[in-house]
Order: sequence, then C-alpha cells, then structure tokens
Amino acid sequence: MACGLVASNLNLKPGECLRVRGEVAPEAKSFVLNLGKDKDNLCLHFNPRFEAHGDVNTIVCNSKDAGAWGAEQRETAFPFQPGTVVEVCFSFDQADLTIKLPDGHTIKFPNRLNLEAINYMAADGDFKIKCVAFD
Amino acid sequence: MSENFEIRNMNMKVGSTLKIKGKIASDADGFALNLGQGSSKLDLHFNPRFHENVIVCNSLDGSWGEEKRDGHLCFSPGSEVKFTVTFENDEFKVKLPDGHQLTFPNRMGHSHLSYLNVHGGLHVTSFKID
Repeated sequence: MACGLVASNLNLKPGECLRVRGEVAPEAKSFVLNLGKDKDNLCLHFNPRFEAHGDVNTIVCNSKDAGAWGAEQRETAFPFQPGTVVEVCFSFDQADLTIKLPDGHTIKFPNRLNLEAINYMAADGDFKIKCVAFD
Repeated sequence: MSENFEIRNMNMKVGSTLKIKGKIASDADGFALNLGQGSSKLDLHFNPRFHENVIVCNSLDGSWGEEKRDGHLCFSPGSEVKFTVTFENDEFKVKLPDGHQLTFPNRMGHSHLSYLNVHGGLHVTSFKID
C-alpha cells in the first residue's frame, strides 16, 4: 500500500470529533486510518477491507501498544463502496472510541491505550483524504 | 485542535486549492502557515504578524529567501477565519478572509506539495484540498 497522509500534533481531546472525508479508490482493496500517539502507539487501527487478507467487506479494528498489535475486532457493518466519497467521524472517551460510519451506524472499540489526546493520524491504502475537520 | 500541527505525505498538486478554517487565539501575535516539501524546504511561508500589521511571505530552501510584505492585514486576534491557498505553476494565490488576494512566486518551481504546517496563534478547525 502506498503511504498516505500523516498528521501530527492534532491534540484531539475526549468529546471532540474528528471528521475525515475522502475518496475510496475505484479498485479499492483496503484502506487504513490510524489514530493515536504515533505510528507505534495506536488507539485505533481502522481497516475496512473490500477484498484483502482473506476478508471480504469487513471492517477490522485493532490497537497497537509500543509496536505490538492487540486483538482484532471485526465488524459486519460495511457501508463502503469503491469509487465513492465517504465521511467517517471519530470521537473517544476514557472507555471507548466511537466511529460513526457513512451510513450513520456507529461502532465502538475499547480505548486500550488510555490516551488523553489523539495527536497522530495516518491514512494508508486505497483512500485519498480530501477534508479533515475538528468539531 | 492544536496550534502546531503538521501534515506529511500530503498530495497537493499544481492546480489545487487548500481551504483552511480556524480560530485565532485572542492573545495571538500572529501565526504561520507553511507549505512545501518538508520543514526545511518551504515553497510558501505565510505569516500574518499582528504587532507589525503586516503579512510576511517567504520561501525557505535551507536558508530564507527574500521576504515579500503586504500591508493588507485582515486577520485579527479572537476571530474565526477562512482563507484559501491556490497552488499554480508560477505562483501561490492566497485569498484572504475579506476577499483580498495576495500572490507569492513559486520560486523553486515545484509541482507537488507534501508538507503542511500551521503554528502560532491559529487553531485550525478544518482543512480541505480540492
């Protein structure tokens, strides 16, 4: 996967919402949005897989703590299609990260790293970020 | 959001426009928006300075180039602002919140910008690349 945009010093606090809008490539296989402290400390690895690593139309979430992956969590909801523009919103509190998918459906992932702020965001794969907003 | 955020691996090509929205801190002296190839290679350093009542633009290629100053300062501490930067072959066009436009030459002739940094008194609330 081509390395995508990397944003640092975001200083996203609990209760604030990070909205990311971008284009899913027409032939998309998979894309990733990582959130956390830095590339080795991710409170959320958000990875919709259209067809990748043996998964079809599945969102795989995970965390990375000091470079070590945690346990994967798989979601059956999959409101993504190749060749479309989508918006995903992320927020967090002490317990969970909440991800609002393009169809309004929300999923939760435990805040395993107990980060007080999200400072790092990186995109990877078949997704091109067009707009980022902080609410 | 942070007052000193940074984006790498951005894919901003000639012809595209960056839209930035944000809030200027009430005690701000100014802020800077940098666009370029990395922190030491900046095609555009855009720096409104409130105490001097001026917008200073420059480029950085190891060392700073020649400053270009514009006295049309329409930013003020405590306000919410929206402005755009259009990246063209020969110059940058910055459209200020009141519609005034200033330009700065694309001195290094790059056709791609991968680095964005905002620091000082501007809290960015959104950015968009078209």
